[in-house]
Amino acid sequence: MSSSADLNTGVARKSRRSDRRRPRISGLGLALLAPALFLLSLFFFAPVILTGVFAFTDLSTSTGIGRGQYVVTPNLLRQLGDQGLTEDDATAIASVSISIDEAGIARATEGGVDPDFLSEIEDRFAGESFDDPRAFSRELRGLPNAPRRPRELTQTAEYFETSVLNTRFDNPEALTAQLADVAPDVSSDTIAWIVDRSYTGARFTTANFERLATQKETLRLIGNTALYVAATLGLFNVGLGLFLAIVLFYTPKPVTSFYSTLWLLPRITPLVLYAIMWKWFTWEDGFLPIIADQLGLPSFNYMKGSVVTAWMTMISLNGFIGASFGLILFSGALRAIPMQQLWASEVDGANRWQQVRRIILPQMRWPILFVTSYQTLSLLSSYEQIWLTTNGGPGRTTTVWALEAFTTALSNYTGNLQYGLGAAMALVLVVVGLVLSIIYLRLFKFSELVSRPKIEL
Amino acid sequence: MTKNFAIFPLIVLLTLVSLPIAVMYGFLILDTFTDAPPGELWPDRFTLAHWRFLWDPSVVGNVWKAAGNSLILAVSIIVIVVPISSLAGYAVSRLNLPFRRFFLAGIMVMHAFPAVTLLIGVFFVLKFTGLYNTMIGVILVKGSLMLPFGIWIMKGFYDAVPWEIEMAGVQDGASRLTVFRRLILPQVKPGLVALSVFAFLDGWGEYLLPRILAPGSDMEVLSVFLNELVQADQLGYDFNLFKSVGVFYTLPVIILFVLFQNRLMNIFGGGTKG
Amino acid sequence: MTFTATRTALTAALLSSVAFGAAAEDYTITVWAGGSGDNATYRWEAIEMAADLMEREAAVRGEELTITVESQAWTGWDDFKQAFTLASEADNAPDIIVSGHEDIGPWSEAGLIVPIEDYVFFDSYPLNTIYPNLIDVATFNGQIWGIPQDAEARVMYWSIPALEAIGWSADEIDSLPDRIASGEFTLYDMLDAVKKMQDAGVLEANMGFAPRVSNGPDYWQFYQSFGGEMADEESGKLVVDTEALKGTYQFFVDATEMGVVSGTHLGSEWDVWHQNAASGNYGAWHGGTWHYAQWTNQFGLEDFFNTVQYSLIPAGNDAGRANSITHPLVYLVTSAASEDEAVIAAELIAKASTPEINALHAVKSAHLAISEDETTVPLYAENRWLAAASERLAPSTNAIPNNSDFGVYWTAMFDGLEAAWTGVSSVDDAVAEVETTVKQALGDDVIIR
Repeated sequence: MSSSADLNTGVARKSRRSDRRRPRISGLGLALLAPALFLLSLFFFAPVILTGVFAFTDLSTSTGIGRGQYVVTPNLLRQLGDQGLTEDDATAIASVSISIDEAGIARATEGGVDPDFLSEIEDRFAGESFDDPRAFSRELRGLPNAPRRPRELTQTAEYFETSVLNTRFDNPEALTAQLADVAPDVSSDTIAWIVDRSYTGARFTTANFERLATQKETLRLIGNTALYVAATLGLFNVGLGLFLAIVLFYTPKPVTSFYSTLWLLPRITPLVLYAIMWKWFTWEDGFLPIIADQLGLPSFNYMKGSVVTAWMTMISLNGFIGASFGLILFSGALRAIPMQQLWASEVDGANRWQQVRRIILPQMRWPILFVTSYQTLSLLSSYEQIWLTTNGGPGRTTTVWALEAFTTALSNYTGNLQYGLGAAMALVLVVVGLVLSIIYLRLFKFSELVSRPKIEL
Repeated sequence: MTKNFAIFPLIVLLTLVSLPIAVMYGFLILDTFTDAPPGELWPDRFTLAHWRFLWDPSVVGNVWKAAGNSLILAVSIIVIVVPISSLAGYAVSRLNLPFRRFFLAGIMVMHAFPAVTLLIGVFFVLKFTGLYNTMIGVILVKGSLMLPFGIWIMKGFYDAVPWEIEMAGVQDGASRLTVFRRLILPQVKPGLVALSVFAFLDGWGEYLLPRILAPGSDMEVLSVFLNELVQADQLGYDFNLFKSVGVFYTLPVIILFVLFQNRLMNIFGGGTKG
Repeated sequence: MTFTATRTALTAALLSSVAFGAAAEDYTITVWAGGSGDNATYRWEAIEMAADLMEREAAVRGEELTITVESQAWTGWDDFKQAFTLASEADNAPDIIVSGHEDIGPWSEAGLIVPIEDYVFFDSYPLNTIYPNLIDVATFNGQIWGIPQDAEARVMYWSIPALEAIGWSADEIDSLPDRIASGEFTLYDMLDAVKKMQDAGVLEANMGFAPRVSNGPDYWQFYQSFGGEMADEESGKLVVDTEALKGTYQFFVDATEMGVVSGTHLGSEWDVWHQNAASGNYGAWHGGTWHYAQWTNQFGLEDFFNTVQYSLIPAGNDAGRANSITHPLVYLVTSAASEDEAVIAAELIAKASTPEINALHAVKSAHLAISEDETTVPLYAENRWLAAASERLAPSTNAIPNNSDFGVYWTAMFDGLEAAWTGVSSVDDAVAEVETTVKQALGDDVIIR
């Protein structure tokens, strides 16, 4: 949230200048604000901060979240072997010893093992030792009083075992102690090294950002995102929105209201249904392919069948939602133009094109800027529509940054969720979003929107 | 005005540009009542078969239960968003607060800010609060993400209420809270209605949050229900069936929209979507 | 395995509640099953049957036992794995999960599942009848984590009418599987054949060869066809064989250039693919044994054996071999289950693995048996397709490695395939990108060849 802090100081500096007299703070105001602040902190600020923290970790499915433990596995020993762990040490650590001694019996009694079973174990195996837990379990099963349930048997067996392999420890001290017990000959430095490496949880790292900075994929994603945002904005949100607003400005009222309602439909249609409609429109045996077929044009699944048509589909389907935003805003701005100017131009004999160019368009500069900036942000991070339609395909040709962040962190086929990397990608969006927002706030004269309360009692 | 300009060519142009939408929505309705031969566009017979899912749960499952769940979700979001936004909106519009400008700037930023990028963080918060995989969690998250928008809209409505009303009330000796309750709230009723409708529409259409944050919940909402229908690869694509379920799903939205069209137009101008 | 204070306390609790629990016992066991389409309902129904059996056994012993099984099925893998991972993190995971064996690696490292070998005897019935190689597939870090729920083979299917149309004799068609198995008939021979079908007008353009439309273990078969090895047998490390990857990517690029498959085939829809496969619109296509159930049950394929020939995935070059990948799903007990529930869950799983119950799943979903005994269950033995697939394909199958890092490699490999296939990058660049990504993520734990 450091960028917000910058914002704060910037705004605060201004406000100090304008107000010498500091009115009393309203307790009521704070009380009214409290519920909103509570929810926003919980579900807005906290996630932003968490995203920032996780971006610097290697958090993933296999590290788990906040449940790191210490466990020495055969795989770990093999890895460490590559990095200098001696064969002898590895063998010592991997060893299992099972001895049926007094101490083991005592532990088992304390653990509540059936006394009859335990005395059989003592009679039959006292003083013996095994090095294979499975063999020992098999022996135990042969005893007349052996429990029926496998779990009880394996747990009874464990009272006589000393080993470290595959046991999960909650803290490093416990593992260190056990390691020293199992493999007393291994040096304490080596043990410390093994304990450190045996941690299963997430570690802090900057690798996510290094990866984003070096991999080629990043460039492709940025390119795709830029193309997507620019084309959707330019062609639809601004271009089509402006076109519709101007045309509807000239049409009679019933026509205007019919078409503005029609163009609002994509915005109020639930997303899932909207996606289905587009599938029907572009799918094999859907509307467009059938028409194309009848006209003798290439007919295939336009949504996923080729890179160019996939892009066109993706941009249009998002653009149709966005166009209404521009339409409403521009229409409002058009209504604000004094009629006299238009009438005067008509009297002067201007045709419609001249009227649009000379009178209307110059007045549209700020609305256009507003739509552009506002919608850039929402397009940058929108992926639901893409996810439900092209899903970044064909191949990965229509994958944009936000979709990639989402699939990396939360939704992919191998189920290998890389929260850390995904959070890093989301953080990039958060930072871009904050920077853009701050620029816009300056651009659109924020201070006018937040004039001070007029009375304060 | 501008009577000397020809209108007809404009309407033709408009119709051409709007054709894709008109076609999509036209066929959406048409297809739910008809069948067309394979590979053809125009239907050749009338049928109610696509609507049999309304009374026959064996077709796609129980839509009424899903609709009930969606209703609960949407109404709960109104319950969270409208009261909290109207309180906070009043505070930032009329009362003196520390960091008021900062808060307003924050609301502006959050209003424009794409909250979906925070999904990973949101999951952790739900995990820590034990609300993951519950509808309550989804409702709280969705409601909170809508708050900046709600506060901003309500602030706009409060700003438009004349100061004289408040001034008069306060001079009569009423407390600020009483003035708010008795005099100001009735003035912003259109805002409350519009915000409620908007919260309902947004909650009703929400798909991502229930699917990600409550996948194992018993409360399957219509959006997830409908999408699962489409995803199942066993069925073969029966667009007409999907569309019928879709129209069933969208009907409440359309009705609300028709009823409140004018009030919504104002809000959509500052809308959060796409 | 060792003793700690907590372990002791746990055992005490366990023993008092289970061993000496003559009083009524009540359990609720939740099961989540991935990959459960309409044909695979026995993934969780088997657990319900096992619960019934356990209750009856308890009644016979004079004990009172009630087990309520709550199940949830997922059709898509990404949703399912996401839901389980997140639910585990949030402590509301199910007790039993049915998933691909490759999830054992990451899930066991994260502590989301417990080794089932602590809860069941593998040397008693029915677990002692399960094929040892399937048990190996469920083994990671020297522990057995799950019980295989099914096995499968992935198949190259051939349209007999289309082969006949380009002049193949009945003998040639019959001997095709053997010629493929011996390595005589390669992937490029296949491309030539389907190209001929298209040229002859038997098939439409881009319909000659129809690979799987989405990510899946299938694409590793092609990597093996070109001599690739997924993991080093000795050290267990993952292996990136750049030559084999190049061969694989180049093969799909060549297929696209020949016009027998479209460059944007990946990401197209399953329904369309099934429909075309079942209607004989493809020349050669590869899928799983279980697709047979879908085509014959839902997509109207009637005369499978007279219209479709089936074989291993052919070798790609001299370095590789004809092969097929099996991808067993496994029953896993999660660490969300309490000790008591885990004991019950594991026993339910063992019971659900008896030949008769598992055969219901195998036959209904066209998956392969998990034990020799199961193949003698009449329901299974009478099924022509399963018998045929077991005989022709199963002996040559291998599985993808259980390695917690394999997901990273898998994702990178598939990304590279998509990039090369769609023409976004050249084959060499795509392979280099895989190499860099995997190397960067896994460091010394991967062997680059």
